[in-house]
Amino acid sequence: MAPPRAPQPSPLGPGGGLYIHVPFCRTLCSYCNFVRTADHDTDLRARTVAACVAELALRRGKCASLSEGRRQLRTAYIGGGTPSALEPDLFTALLSGTVGKLPVAPDLELTVEANPESFSPAVVDAWRSAGVGRVSLGVQSLDADVLQRLGRQCDPATARGAIVLACRHFERVAADWIIGPGVQRRRLLAELTEAIGLGVGHVSLYILELHLGSDLSAAVAAGRVAMPSDARTETLYLAAVDRLAELGLRQYEVANFALPASESRHNRAYWSRRPYLGLGPGAHGLYGRWRYANTGDLSAYLASIEAGQLPPQSIDHLTPAARRLESVVLPLRTAAGVPLGLIPDRALDLPRGVRAGFWTVDSGRLRLTARGFLRIDAIEQALARGLG
Amino acid sequence: MKVRFLAKLMEQTRNFCIIAHIDHGKSTLADRLLERTGTLAAKEMRAQVLDSMELEQERGITIKSHPIRMDYKRADGERFTLNLIDTPGHVDFHYEVSRSLAACEGALLVVDAVQGVQAQTINNLYLALEHDLTVIPVINKIDLPVARTDFVAGQFIDLLGCDADEILQVSAKTGEGVSDLLDAIIARIPSPQGDPAAPATALIFDSVFDPYVGAVAYVRVFDGTFAKGDRIAMFAHDRNFEVQELGWFRLDRIGQARLMAGEVGYIATGAKDVRYVRVGDTITTLAAGCSEPLPGYTEAKPMVFSGLYPTDNDDYDDLLDALQKLQMNDASLTWEKETSAALGFGFRCGFLGLLHLEIIQERLEREYGLNLIATLPNVEYHVLLSDGEIMICENPARLPDPREIREVREPIVRATVITPKEYVGNVIQVTLDRRGVQVSMEYLDTERVSLVFDLPLNELVVDYYDKLKSVSRGYASLDYEYLTHRRDDLVRLDILINGDPLDALTCIVHRERAHNWGLSLCRKLKELIPRQMFQVAIQAAIGSRVVARTTVKPYRKNVTAKCYGGDITRKRKLLEKQKEGKKRMKLVGTVEIPQEAFLAVLKVER
Repeated sequence: MAPPRAPQPSPLGPGGGLYIHVPFCRTLCSYCNFVRTADHDTDLRARTVAACVAELALRRGKCASLSEGRRQLRTAYIGGGTPSALEPDLFTALLSGTVGKLPVAPDLELTVEANPESFSPAVVDAWRSAGVGRVSLGVQSLDADVLQRLGRQCDPATARGAIVLACRHFERVAADWIIGPGVQRRRLLAELTEAIGLGVGHVSLYILELHLGSDLSAAVAAGRVAMPSDARTETLYLAAVDRLAELGLRQYEVANFALPASESRHNRAYWSRRPYLGLGPGAHGLYGRWRYANTGDLSAYLASIEAGQLPPQSIDHLTPAARRLESVVLPLRTAAGVPLGLIPDRALDLPRGVRAGFWTVDSGRLRLTARGFLRIDAIEQALARGLG
Repeated sequence: MKVRFLAKLMEQTRNFCIIAHIDHGKSTLADRLLERTGTLAAKEMRAQVLDSMELEQERGITIKSHPIRMDYKRADGERFTLNLIDTPGHVDFHYEVSRSLAACEGALLVVDAVQGVQAQTINNLYLALEHDLTVIPVINKIDLPVARTDFVAGQFIDLLGCDADEILQVSAKTGEGVSDLLDAIIARIPSPQGDPAAPATALIFDSVFDPYVGAVAYVRVFDGTFAKGDRIAMFAHDRNFEVQELGWFRLDRIGQARLMAGEVGYIATGAKDVRYVRVGDTITTLAAGCSEPLPGYTEAKPMVFSGLYPTDNDDYDDLLDALQKLQMNDASLTWEKETSAALGFGFRCGFLGLLHLEIIQERLEREYGLNLIATLPNVEYHVLLSDGEIMICENPARLPDPREIREVREPIVRATVITPKEYVGNVIQVTLDRRGVQVSMEYLDTERVSLVFDLPLNELVVDYYDKLKSVSRGYASLDYEYLTHRRDDLVRLDILINGDPLDALTCIVHRERAHNWGLSLCRKLKELIPRQMFQVAIQAAIGSRVVARTTVKPYRKNVTAKCYGGDITRKRKLLEKQKEGKKRMKLVGTVEIPQEAFLAVLKVER
């Protein structure tokens, strides 16, 4: 589909960000449904980096305010896949060809995702010299049994080593944990306590979801792996929320917890609907009135860019109703909550939800509690229905 | 000379109808008569040509009457006019059938050679005999290899006391025996009597609304003559009209200058509403009209009531419009506006019976594209209040507080069930379970038994017919007529959702059955109401006393934990899709109740 013609609102509006998707992994995790591949070599990686750089130039050519460079980049996030799977020189080339070409704010938040097993001292050196200030480690668990069930390559010792290494060299370190098969409450709490003690200031805690077609969902269907019951998941989640709070990490979104001033500014921008630019296969971006998603097919992506064209992309035009819906359900995920004025009349039984401990209503806002976050899909549905 | 000519015309006319059970071949036989008399050109002919409504064709039933005039030349060259008055074939339309019979001198009693005599056939036969009609027994489908012609002939002989050689054997499918049948119609059915010079008198046996000429009466003229331009009056109301057009029936209406004594035809009145042209009423001319109406008129009385609500409240005006249009053609459909706390704005509609209800509902959904919720069908209760007044209650939710009630009387019907003898035990059990009282039992022959019960209509409307069919492998047939209103220990059972009454499910039940019914209903609702954000308490209560309770547990966990930039479009599209799916859910307070829940109460075991 042809991109809409200028003038367009800039994806790098005030507080705007940049997302780059690196689709390479050494091995594939059984539960993941992101755009990624394990079949790659140096040449393919180099072509992909070059293509991301070229995509920025193509997008700038289509967008006046991007090309004029009036707006400063406030956040950038390199995700995957596994960005740490890129060779140091390719990584440097990727950053200098993208972030390096844009005017950046003095307090730029530059985050890169890493897997413990590929997070080496050489990677650390390259990232530090490229200006990376924040590392997000895909730890998931420090329990060998859990890691094995998830199909992770990493063992607990490697994961611990990576945490120590990251905390020694980077000012801000975030780590992902998962609630899934085999997770024990005491171990989970002990792991989180250990990680915070090592210097992790931000935790993303995900309740494992089964995606159709993933190896894990096949294993569950075949009875080889048992997912925890809803009741057990609820217990684990609430216990983790309490423990993290005791350790000083405030819950600021359904799955995200941080020490004061350590929240991911980049991710917060998603929930407040700030525009951002996305580059790379499977990457996505938001202009004021439309979202786009690049094709996840790496060869199709490369072929287009190398032919001097924007990659195939799906465009999601945001009608006023769609924008209204997003403006309610996205802030609903956050601790800041939703202004009561945006909640449709009679969509929710507000007093009953307060009594049930699902939300609080004060200072003119509805804020979900941890128990409420556990039921957010149902709450979103009620709001969506109320918005009509 | 003129008088002699008119007398000759009457002498050469035969007015008759066909009495048959559903599927015994009435419409196909009519097709053959039309063909054999050359009434329709080959290109006009198709199967069941008189059943023009899509629903009639599909269900193989007649809903509206379709009279047709045939010209027949007998083998000896003499010419006759045959008026066939096709009648509705279902118990709900009992009154319409009786008026059609009153318009005839004769009836063909058609019975399927395999199935034999059915309950409704017998009742309609008695109706025909009451009207002094000449009955010609006809065994149809004799071409079928499993035909039991002798057996059915035996049934006829028992029923009618006729001789074996009076029974005609035909195959409407192949046309065998149809010529003999035509000759029998002329030979046996008397020609109409009447005085063309007397004050004009005509019986309305059906009516339709036509946007060009207004309400059209289907009539049988008994005396006198009607002509275009005559001022006409009826007896059921004070309005009078000018005849816009009149004439005979073919497949369409054929205009004539006048309609005379003995004839069957139509009179277009110009009335804006079919309710001025009531079935059973008498039409006469304003000048020199008759002073007495023909006997037998009663106002069509709805027997079964149900609230009809649009699933989407925005469709209310469309529903109103559709009901008005249907009523223009169907004076027996009644409705009034009603508000339900649970369902919003809708209509309390009155129907002749369950089939009538089903037909109206289906037409509303099919022809008008409406998505409806219908409340549990119920009947008209007579409530004796403490102050001695009688209150008529058609909506269970309106039944007053028990303290204000001295007694509640419910309609009782006399039901006739005919069943093969091996199912007699089942039929009696099912009927007793529904508070039926057996009145009589009689062997019609060695195979078939006729059972008569008195039964509360309310028990009958819910699922009695379905039950009867299922315990008799489809063989039992049912007919019923209103008997009386009788007091019983009846209570109002409310269904509460999170403490709020769901008025659409309120029903009136016998006190002894309230607990079981309430519990079944609560269990069924528990199955059908999906888990929601909060626990949903479902209770059945008599007044403030809860007699049954179930709960739908809330979600424990219902969360998509990850939602970053690339997930947002997917999430929003999912929400939009779910929202569409939920349009079929009714929001009661903040509880989502699927449309099926309102229908499922019909299927609840008691």
